[in-house]
Amino acid sequence: MRILIVEDDELVADALKRGLAATGFAVDRVGSAEQAEAALATEEFDLAVVDIGLPKADGLTLVRKIRRAGNDLPVLILTARDGLADRVDALDLGADDYLVKPFELPEVAARCRALIRRTRSATSAQLHIGALTLDLKSRTAELAGQPLDVTRREWSILECLALDAGRVVRKEKLLRAIAGWDEELTPNAVEVYVSRLRAKLGESVAIRTVRGLGYRLDEPAP
Amino acid sequence: MARRLLTLLLVPLGGLLLLALLFDYLVVEGPMRTAFDRSLGDAAVVIAAYVRPTGNGAAVALPPPVTAQLATRGARPVYALRDAAGALLDGEARLPAAPPEVPDALQFSSTRLDSGRPARIVWYRFVADGRALVLAVAEPIGERDDATRPLVTATLTLDVLQLVAVVAFVLIGVRRGLRPLAEFRDELASRSARELEPLDERRVPQEIAPLVGSLNALLARVRASAEAQRKFVADAAHQLRTPLAGMQAQLELLERDAAALPVRDRVGAVREGLKRLAHTAHQLLTLARAEGSATLERDFGDVDLARLIEDAVTQHLDRALEKRIDLGAEAHSATVRAIEWLLRELIQNLVDNALNYTPSGGVVTLRCGPLPEGAFLEVEDDGPGIAPEERPRVMERFHRASDAPGVGSGLGLAIVSDIVALHGARFELAAGHGGRGTRARVEFKAPAARARA
Repeated sequence: MRILIVEDDELVADALKRGLAATGFAVDRVGSAEQAEAALATEEFDLAVVDIGLPKADGLTLVRKIRRAGNDLPVLILTARDGLADRVDALDLGADDYLVKPFELPEVAARCRALIRRTRSATSAQLHIGALTLDLKSRTAELAGQPLDVTRREWSILECLALDAGRVVRKEKLLRAIAGWDEELTPNAVEVYVSRLRAKLGESVAIRTVRGLGYRLDEPAP
Repeated sequence: MARRLLTLLLVPLGGLLLLALLFDYLVVEGPMRTAFDRSLGDAAVVIAAYVRPTGNGAAVALPPPVTAQLATRGARPVYALRDAAGALLDGEARLPAAPPEVPDALQFSSTRLDSGRPARIVWYRFVADGRALVLAVAEPIGERDDATRPLVTATLTLDVLQLVAVVAFVLIGVRRGLRPLAEFRDELASRSARELEPLDERRVPQEIAPLVGSLNALLARVRASAEAQRKFVADAAHQLRTPLAGMQAQLELLERDAAALPVRDRVGAVREGLKRLAHTAHQLLTLARAEGSATLERDFGDVDLARLIEDAVTQHLDRALEKRIDLGAEAHSATVRAIEWLLRELIQNLVDNALNYTPSGGVVTLRCGPLPEGAFLEVEDDGPGIAPEERPRVMERFHRASDAPGVGSGLGLAIVSDIVALHGARFELAAGHGGRGTRARVEFKAPAARARA
């Protein structure tokens, strides 16, 4: 997976490049919006990490240009400003996620992986989370290459969690995913299916309970 | 100002009206007394006309129509007929004899009748059948008062009504006249420190328009300096955070590369120190930005506390998992008027503290929900808690609990307390359920309730 880093600060750019490369990404780095446009015009990337505070044209302008050109490349914004206005700006303009400096490298890598996975699930039918593979078309799951025997409702919950892996999925959303037209299910039903899924998934992929909110599917760090 | 104006107007006006009251009384009283005396004199003359000689004396022989006529005056006059030497010829002996030195035909005086009742008396010297006689006619003053009272009462009532009306008009007038000033005062008072829009100069009385003008100039300067501070803080944030981010990430890599080397621990220690520095820088920037935002109304919006709490739980989940703390939420939707990013900072600081001070295996719960007049936000942990006597001190800037572990900047609760004050909210630190741990609670008042307070 290839990532373009758009960052003018040498120290930050170098650390990002090394850090992301260490987790298995192919990384290119440019120092300005103009160079970024040139790189995007000639090469294929899976994701761009864009700093807002670039010299001359800033990162937000770059994101706007990328989107206006019809490019749906996932973009992770980095910023040293942390106001809500910036965040709304960035997401409104078409950025996909947002991180405030200073950041921790594992966090950056996790966000990159999640963004790429989400974009891919829209185009390809397969979803990989650690040892788990979901085929969205045939609605089947494999764990470490072995078919995983899940019921229809278990599959719905697993799909919901996997599509948002690394993020908290609200219990209400999972309930809606399994509730049919003609039946009333209590939130307890979700708990029952989640605990059955946990038993089937074993140690490879963790479904965390977030008390009062919902669940989060975590892939093990590489 | 209104009080001073009223004092200046009402005290002299009241005095003036009291004088008028006295004057009216005298004006009515004087002529009435004269009229009554004249009528008493008339009665004496009429009675004298019916004096008839009897042997060696004389007597009053009033025919019934005259008696009736005299009685219409209110009281039957009491009379005494004496000769020049003062010997009683007819009538009532209790009436005093005329003072000898008075030469007038009619002589008026005040006297007292039996049992000391005040009375008015007239002596009439006349000559009947060649004899000099003196007729005394008296009338109790009470009878007169009965007759004059309605007139005096009417006059004085009118005066008092006038007094009341004048006072009322002055009160209304002064209040009306000062209303623009009062409205101006209320407008200023109802503004929070963050509303820096200019005041409307046309809505105030001409006399204070220049004052409002200079006030507006001052507001404009404050506004400009708030904007300048914002920009400065934003620039400072960028200039501070970028190198910090670079150094922190480089040290992270260095620590990884040095995994097997003896310097690894030292790299780790430097990284921890840098992390603390970054945290403090962030806290200081937050304090500075909060002060800048405090002056600008446009930063405020409707914020759902439940959403912020969910975000905060999501954001801190990994740290909680790492420390094996059960982090959870009990969030019920509740909207407050607030600066969203500041509330995020507030919650972040409270959760940070809770996660820092709660030992492994503990429970941290974030709560929010509506109140009858507002909303609340709560972060509760089952850590060691804060002793009641230490609670006020933990709110001070750079204060840190003596046994505080690692990373705190000592600014967390100071930031919380600033943000709480900025939103007109209330902050409370108490023990958690069952007296264990700490419960930090923020109560927001609804805008309407806040305006009333």
